[in-house]
Amino acid sequence: MAGYQEGESPSPGENSGDESQGDEAIKILEKMKLNQRLAAKELISTEARYVHNLQLCASDIRSQLHELPEEDLDVIFSNINDVIKVNSRFLKGLEEAESEEEQLSLLGNLFLEFQEEMESAYKVYCASYDQALALVESYKKVPKLQKAIQDVITALVPQAGASGLTFLLVMPVQRVTRYPLLLQKILENTPPDDQAYENLQRATRAMQEVNSNINEYKRRKEIATKYNKLEHLTVRERLARINTHSISKKTLRLSQLFKQEAGIVTRTEDREFDDLEEKFHWVALCVNELKSNVASYLENLEKQRLERLVYHPLSHLSKALLGPQNLIKKRLDKLLDFERIEEKLAEAGSMTYEEEATRHTYQALNSLLVSELPRFNQVATQWLSQILHTLMALQRDLAQQVLQRAEGEMAQLPHSHVSESDFRKLVEDTLGKTSAQLHSFRQNFEKVLPVPITQPLQPAAERQVQTLVSKYGPSKLYQVTSNISGSGNLALTLQRGQIVALLQDRDTRGNTNRWLVDTGGYRGYVPAGKLEPYQVVSHEEPSMQTGSGDGFRFPPAEASRAPAHAAMPVFQVVAAYPFAARSSHEVSLQAGQPVTVLERQDKKGNPEWSLVEVNGQRGYVPSNFLVPVPSPAPWGWSLPPCDSPPSHM
Amino acid sequence: MENFSTMSKSAVKISSDLLSNPLCEQDQEFLNMVTALDTAMKRMDAFNQEKVNQIQKTVIEPLKKFGSVFPSLNMAVKRREQALQDYKRLQSKVEKYEEKEKTGPVLAKLHQVREELRPVKDDFEAKNRQLLEEMPRFYSSRLDYFQPSFESLIRAQVVYYTEMHKIFRDLTQQLDQPGHTDEQREQENETKLSELRALSIVADD
Repeated sequence: MAGYQEGESPSPGENSGDESQGDEAIKILEKMKLNQRLAAKELISTEARYVHNLQLCASDIRSQLHELPEEDLDVIFSNINDVIKVNSRFLKGLEEAESEEEQLSLLGNLFLEFQEEMESAYKVYCASYDQALALVESYKKVPKLQKAIQDVITALVPQAGASGLTFLLVMPVQRVTRYPLLLQKILENTPPDDQAYENLQRATRAMQEVNSNINEYKRRKEIATKYNKLEHLTVRERLARINTHSISKKTLRLSQLFKQEAGIVTRTEDREFDDLEEKFHWVALCVNELKSNVASYLENLEKQRLERLVYHPLSHLSKALLGPQNLIKKRLDKLLDFERIEEKLAEAGSMTYEEEATRHTYQALNSLLVSELPRFNQVATQWLSQILHTLMALQRDLAQQVLQRAEGEMAQLPHSHVSESDFRKLVEDTLGKTSAQLHSFRQNFEKVLPVPITQPLQPAAERQVQTLVSKYGPSKLYQVTSNISGSGNLALTLQRGQIVALLQDRDTRGNTNRWLVDTGGYRGYVPAGKLEPYQVVSHEEPSMQTGSGDGFRFPPAEASRAPAHAAMPVFQVVAAYPFAARSSHEVSLQAGQPVTVLERQDKKGNPEWSLVEVNGQRGYVPSNFLVPVPSPAPWGWSLPPCDSPPSHM
Repeated sequence: MENFSTMSKSAVKISSDLLSNPLCEQDQEFLNMVTALDTAMKRMDAFNQEKVNQIQKTVIEPLKKFGSVFPSLNMAVKRREQALQDYKRLQSKVEKYEEKEKTGPVLAKLHQVREELRPVKDDFEAKNRQLLEEMPRFYSSRLDYFQPSFESLIRAQVVYYTEMHKIFRDLTQQLDQPGHTDEQREQENETKLSELRALSIVADD
């Protein structure tokens, strides 16, 4: 720029129609035109050089910096390729102009045309420029790498000098800020009535706008990154962070909050923001709820596809929520600060530099959220819908898969052609039949039990049964299923197979497990579980079979023997051993001699002696010398063990 | 069986919760979709209940019944065992007397014991015979017995999944582009995710 003089702004309206003044005017105009053209030329030539350098940087330099890892190179060069693309096309457009007049109007139009593209390309580059710079600085500390970088640059771009890479990287940043200045210069040297004037003016304004947008974007990005870093600090680190500054910050905020709550200070109502936040909140709620529901659904279901296509996206979405949530929180904090400062401003009329900064931070944060939340909400909702669609499709597919398999199996079944309702009836019928079958099986297995007990009874037992039947009726008869040994008051001891009549199905205390029964001679209690209902079986002749077990005992505890015993008919008994009577009360026996038993006890009631009649003589003999042959052992009589002769009196 | 129900219930929860979210109020399309999904889930739940009932009736209960025969069977076997013991005992008694001297008393006793033995023996043999007959019959019946249950189980599943397939097919045709492959879906997910990440307010990680 050194060779140029600043042209003065002409004000043609000032001159009157003087000739000399007219000449002056023309001269000034001429000068202006010259300046204008030069400025335009400068713009174009610098543009050409700029683009060339950029290309060098992006391709040659980058490819030779192989000491550096790929991710770092990405950070350093960021979206320089986009910038190159935009500017190359821009340059081509510039060079298309044929005449100089055309050039000027073309210039204005081109800037307007490219405004948007430039803004989007440059704002990304500028926003990441700081990071790139930081990275390059860190490399400067590593001498080996630094040297390597420097060598490459010196070889390709000698005029870069010692600052090397930084010099090259800052070019786009500088360039975009230069545009408004260059345009301004041209504009200054363009008379307002020039046809290109309006365009140039608009172009200048456009580029200024671009710059301020880039700055705004950069600032927002910085704020977002600053507050978005989800820091995982340990308690100790958190403690270390507490210093007077942070404490004062927090207390100030807290007091502001109280003031708001108490109504002392009015809250800044930001309806727009609140709506946005609410919607965001719903979206967040929706996403998280859906996520946990799907998780529990997953537990019961086949996983893979569902996980990949539904659950993972949901997790991503859920994670993405955290950033904005964080920022919203921070905004609230900053809002409190902001309100306090506003208050102070209203009172004091001024604020410190720090407060100014805080104010700006709040405003930037707020505008960032306001501009981006709608988009977030929208995208998130759309994504949610997509995910739900996927869920449905997956359900369908799952159903299809299972259906195919199940149908395949069903085809192999015999009844596959039968309709559903017919089949169900069929199954019901079959089940009814099989159920009956099972029932009969069970019964079969269960009815095994009564077999041994329903033996034909001995005649004496028969008679006893008849007695019981006549006294109580046939429905009250029970048979003992297993030996009962009575203990305690009024408890009977009975043998298996014995018939008794039920008197009462509970004892005096109401216990239904003990029944009061009549044996035909004695009454007492027996456990109900050992009784089974007995069917009276009629016989024509007394059977020749013995009762099971050894005879039957009645407890001697019963004091009075029923006189029925004495009235019991006599039966065949044989003497098993010879016996010599030693007194007149006794009678002698020979082995095998049939005797007639008259009484099974002596006068004192001692069962060891029996009154028998033999050979016309009556007398007492030891009971255990007697044995029934072949007739069954008499009911109600005790039969002593056969292997031990009784002790003599 | 419980799994069927839990799964169905959790599916219904997904859709009901969605429906209750206020997001639905704002976005008509969203609301429509969620309502449709909710209806679908509830219908599926109803079908599931039906399926469970059917299976209960035709599979679970018959199974239980079949199992209930076993206790009786076991009891019968035990009784046979008992009878066998009695039989053996008396048998050995008889043999003991048979080995003794054939004196009068012994003979008498022998006779008596033999008489005792007879019913016991008959009893045992009867029991034994019965079991020998019935048990094989019982066991072999199980195949035929379960046949209908098995069929029923499969059919119940078929019915359920047919319905499920139909419902969701209609649903997706109505709402979604049905032809999407998995890759396409993943692609869509990626797109959305990167759209979100492009916003500065979203943290990069």
